[in-house]
Amino acid sequence: MSVLENLAQAIIAGDAMAAKSLTEAALQEGATPSTVIKEGLIAGMDVISRRFKAREIFVPEVLIAARAMHSGLDVLKPLLASSGQKAAGQVVMGSAKGDLHDIGKNLVIMMLEGAGFEVTDLGVDVAPERFVQAVQEQKPHAIGISSLLTTTMPAMGKTIEALAAANVRDQVKVVIGGAPVTQRYADEIGADGYAPDASAAVELIKNLVG
Amino acid sequence: MEIAFNGSDYHILKGVLSVVVSDIQPLTPKRRFMSALLGGRQDGRVPVGNPTSVISVEVMDKVGIYFPEAHLDAEMMAELAATSHELLGYDTVTPYFSVQQEAAALGGEVDWGGPNMMPAMRDHPMTPPEKIEISEALLEHPALKVVLDSLTILRKHYGDYVAVCGKVMGPWTLSYHVVGVEPFLMMILDDPDRVRRYLDVLKEMTIMFARAQYQAGADLVTIADHATGDLVSPDTYRDFLIPVHREIIQRVGGPNILHICGQTIDRLEHFITAGFDCFHVESKVDIESACQLVKGRMSLVGNINNPTTLLFGTPEDVRADCIKAVDAGIDMLAAECAIPLTTPLANLRAIAETAEEYRRTK
Repeated sequence: MSVLENLAQAIIAGDAMAAKSLTEAALQEGATPSTVIKEGLIAGMDVISRRFKAREIFVPEVLIAARAMHSGLDVLKPLLASSGQKAAGQVVMGSAKGDLHDIGKNLVIMMLEGAGFEVTDLGVDVAPERFVQAVQEQKPHAIGISSLLTTTMPAMGKTIEALAAANVRDQVKVVIGGAPVTQRYADEIGADGYAPDASAAVELIKNLVG
Repeated sequence: MEIAFNGSDYHILKGVLSVVVSDIQPLTPKRRFMSALLGGRQDGRVPVGNPTSVISVEVMDKVGIYFPEAHLDAEMMAELAATSHELLGYDTVTPYFSVQQEAAALGGEVDWGGPNMMPAMRDHPMTPPEKIEISEALLEHPALKVVLDSLTILRKHYGDYVAVCGKVMGPWTLSYHVVGVEPFLMMILDDPDRVRRYLDVLKEMTIMFARAQYQAGADLVTIADHATGDLVSPDTYRDFLIPVHREIIQRVGGPNILHICGQTIDRLEHFITAGFDCFHVESKVDIESACQLVKGRMSLVGNINNPTTLLFGTPEDVRADCIKAVDAGIDMLAAECAIPLTTPLANLRAIAETAEEYRRTK
């Protein structure tokens, strides 16, 4: 197997140390940072994403794969900054106001990064105004709002209203997700999309901003 | 405590109606629910319970008792818990509305929220398993004592007629509380022995608190232990939790309900192996498949959908969900999980109303 194939395997196995050394080895062999990301890190995360969707693996496996991916990305980041590498798109993510849960949101972030997106994480309990501010300042292609609680779902609709009030609603795609969220609810509040799981969220955002 | 309602008359009246309809001696709410829990005789009126909270803002308004005070005051907790019988017509009363009472006792920083927000942990104590000490003294912690005292109050007022339902967190959920969900999930693969050490020490908390709840007056106890299919594999449940849950059930001894939210069809067989009397099943699980799989080896309670049916649906939608579950063979009806705080009262009432009208025929 090539170094990049081995790197993808290390991501799939969640082996952070191997991912780091194989990333370095790939660079030494002359691979460009973008090739390492595409054929090593993203290739590995694609497999993880597919297996997760098929319920062959569960959240722990995704978490350690993402950790391995980050240990490779840490090697590449300084090089990417100097080479002016273009990301697949910019996304701002956060849990809805009042919601302290972050695992679903973090999974989406990891998968998005694995798919080559640049993600800003606003964290948990994010007020509508903070989403508006992030859209005005960073001009992302999409924002993603997550909610695990039916009690915090209304804050997603309020965020969309706040974006409209600030006249930036048409500048950004809004996608929502989380255990209690449904397509019907997304339609009701005027979101651009809903995804039932992290893999689907990445597909959705790719389609919306592609 | 002054109980403002006169619930017994309401149920005697319903009981008379039941005789006319079915000509079978009606059971009391408590006997009906406990019998169904243990797979026994029924009177046709489908039992309705609440293994988890059915408190809503509208319910709080009706009795003038609110979160967060009701999480930490035994009389308020008991009076609010009584509403599931008095206002909603259910067969159970269940204090302990959140999942955070033990978290506070274990040293976590809990934000107790408000009428519109359930309690949540602000940080995790990260205590290593070797440093966690579970002793009887913890039962005196205000966050645990309040549950025990409210069970005693409910027992005194309702013990002869309504099933008094306690609730404890299992060692898996307690581990989430102690170290955080993500770090604990990664530990499953990074250091499975450490996971076992956490489960081993934290199960003592579950056992101690559950025993104390029966002694305080609970007829049954819900054990919530969120090893859900939304997070971990069925093999993870089998390898880590079957032995631990077996031990908990053996040492606790009283009637129990396991509560795990999310998709669980792939591990129902494991819950039976562990030995639970009953499982609180969510609407993500297809109820017909679940009933066919379980075949009476474990009772099932649930599975009325929260976010779509109870929160945004109409009483007719609730009725349709209830009938589907009853026809599939569910043993007792209940909301699938702790309800959203803005759930309409009419929808919560529709569960027991449907159980009264739509009697089980097979």
